[in-house]
Amino acid sequence: MPTKVLICDDSSFARKQMARALPGEWDAELSFANDGAEGLRAIRAGKGEVIFLDLNMPELDGYAVLQAMHEDGLPGKVIVVSGDIQPEAHNRVTGLGALAFVKKPVDPNALVDILASIGLWRGAATRVDFEPGKIDVRDGCREITNVAMGRAADLLARLLGVFVVLPVPRVEMLEGGDLRMALENIAHSESVAGICQGFIGGGIAGEALLIFHESSYADLAELLKHEGELDESVELELLVDMASILTGACLKGLADQLDISFSQGHPLVLGRHNKIASLVPQNAARWTNILTIEMGFEIENRNISCDLLLLFTEDSVATLEERLSYALG
Amino acid sequence: MSASKFDIHELHWLMDVLHTIDVGLLVIDRDYRVRLLNGFMQNHSGLSVTAVLGKDLFRVFPDIQEDWFRRKADSVFQLKCPAYTNWEQRPYLFRFKNYHPITGAAEFMYQNVTLIPLISADGVIKHVGVIVSDVTDIAVNRSDLEILNRQLETLSRTDHLTELNNRGYWEERLTEEFRRFRRSPSTACSLIIFDIDHFKRVNDTYGHQAGDEVIRNTARILRESVRNTDVIGRYGGEEFGVVLIDTPSDKAIVLAERLRTGIEALTVGFDGHEIRFTISLGIAQVSDATESYRHWIECADQALYEAKRSGRNRSVVYTG
Repeated sequence: MPTKVLICDDSSFARKQMARALPGEWDAELSFANDGAEGLRAIRAGKGEVIFLDLNMPELDGYAVLQAMHEDGLPGKVIVVSGDIQPEAHNRVTGLGALAFVKKPVDPNALVDILASIGLWRGAATRVDFEPGKIDVRDGCREITNVAMGRAADLLARLLGVFVVLPVPRVEMLEGGDLRMALENIAHSESVAGICQGFIGGGIAGEALLIFHESSYADLAELLKHEGELDESVELELLVDMASILTGACLKGLADQLDISFSQGHPLVLGRHNKIASLVPQNAARWTNILTIEMGFEIENRNISCDLLLLFTEDSVATLEERLSYALG
Repeated sequence: MSASKFDIHELHWLMDVLHTIDVGLLVIDRDYRVRLLNGFMQNHSGLSVTAVLGKDLFRVFPDIQEDWFRRKADSVFQLKCPAYTNWEQRPYLFRFKNYHPITGAAEFMYQNVTLIPLISADGVIKHVGVIVSDVTDIAVNRSDLEILNRQLETLSRTDHLTELNNRGYWEERLTEEFRRFRRSPSTACSLIIFDIDHFKRVNDTYGHQAGDEVIRNTARILRESVRNTDVIGRYGGEEFGVVLIDTPSDKAIVLAERLRTGIEALTVGFDGHEIRFTISLGIAQVSDATESYRHWIECADQALYEAKRSGRNRSVVYTG
């Protein structure tokens, strides 16, 4: 009897990556679910003896699926597969009944060890024969960003001793003029500050834009144990520190998965106590299309939030696509 | 440079590049001891390698604020992520002379500094590299630009003759006060509009230059009579405005009278003539009935008209 295995992830890229990481000799019958709600239906239909469950999903996230399984007494051995590698995320899912935690991108050898440790399957790692099909750049970007964000959040969480809430990143192709609108959507009418850092490497070039909501300073200073008065230069320093951690970790996470490395420029302070419109790069119109990845970071129980935008030039997209197909394994 | 074909000559020119490059490089270990100092750092600091290698960073460079730098470097060791300091936030890490000590405007070198994690062969971070870029030119240009911009801004809102706020900027401030009142109507705010009585006669009798002198002197008395928080401006030719924040009209009239008597007592000397003149003032306190800032001005204007009609050289409060 094959084992019924359910892979529940909103990214088709991630589902493929997960499926390819499963040991080839494991007698498994694979099903897939696109989000938590669909996953829960599949579990109720008996398709999930073993469930590989993503955490950050729209509709119903991984935590909610675990919660529902627990409340309804649904059977199934859950292995959480997530880019959110904060220790607190790990603790929370274990508390909700998950048996193991696998970090993304899934390493086939580590997966074999985990399967063995929870007594599911023993053997060596060999690949499942699985046709990946064509890669959707947006979906692929969303997934590798998920992983990169998870690493950035982990650093932030460790530095500040907090839990970072991670929504699903948004990936869009924007025209130069749309960038302003996208930025305005992020900032609402609040006062914001921006830090811009350029990056280039492996045929991919772009800029990382961290938009920081200025109401967050007081809480941030407290978390960073900053003593003394909160003047302009202290705020600027908090801002630059926060930006280098988030941008640095995110870019490193992306570069690692794409198997390249980026050179990063010095962070540039774009404007302070400004309305967002004045933050928009002057020459955003030079590129007709800009691949934009938008991610929000929010610190649980604190008034701290910021948005990180990664903007890629149009001529980076082809390289990105090629690199993503390698990343799929 | 492969390890199997280790070439001492190659190492030599690599080190040469490292030492000659016009960027500062310094490497410290976990104990904050100096492990490398390139030519740039040696020449600008005046320290020799032999004197500092293996020494405590904070003894070698006592200007560095130790607790701040440690916090920064610790995060690099811990998080394996680079950290940056910007000249705008901290002009320099190392107090070096400007590269143009004679012709340059800045006294010291503005620096952008990057702290990078250096990963050793076993994957552990045992060293941090400090990269120092000279950004003095950018900093000086930016500061110049900011000063110019500020001057330009001041210029664009100042009246040339009196150096008071010009009408445009003064009205802007009046609008702000009106909005503030709308948000919190419990505060009182008054407006005085006044003009010089029979100013045309001064011009016709003594000439336009004498008229200018009268206006300049009126502005001087005005400046001397008001408080710091009051917003004063030249509203028209011989017309002036004062916005009195947190002041009901019964207090505003005290200031108006001080102004009026001050001008009445003034003698302006011009070209051998002694010119004496008076002013008339209209006062209006903003109220719930005030529909707009324009309406507010109209109320003060009506009071001013009343002051003129009833004989000039007096202050009248608008009563609705």
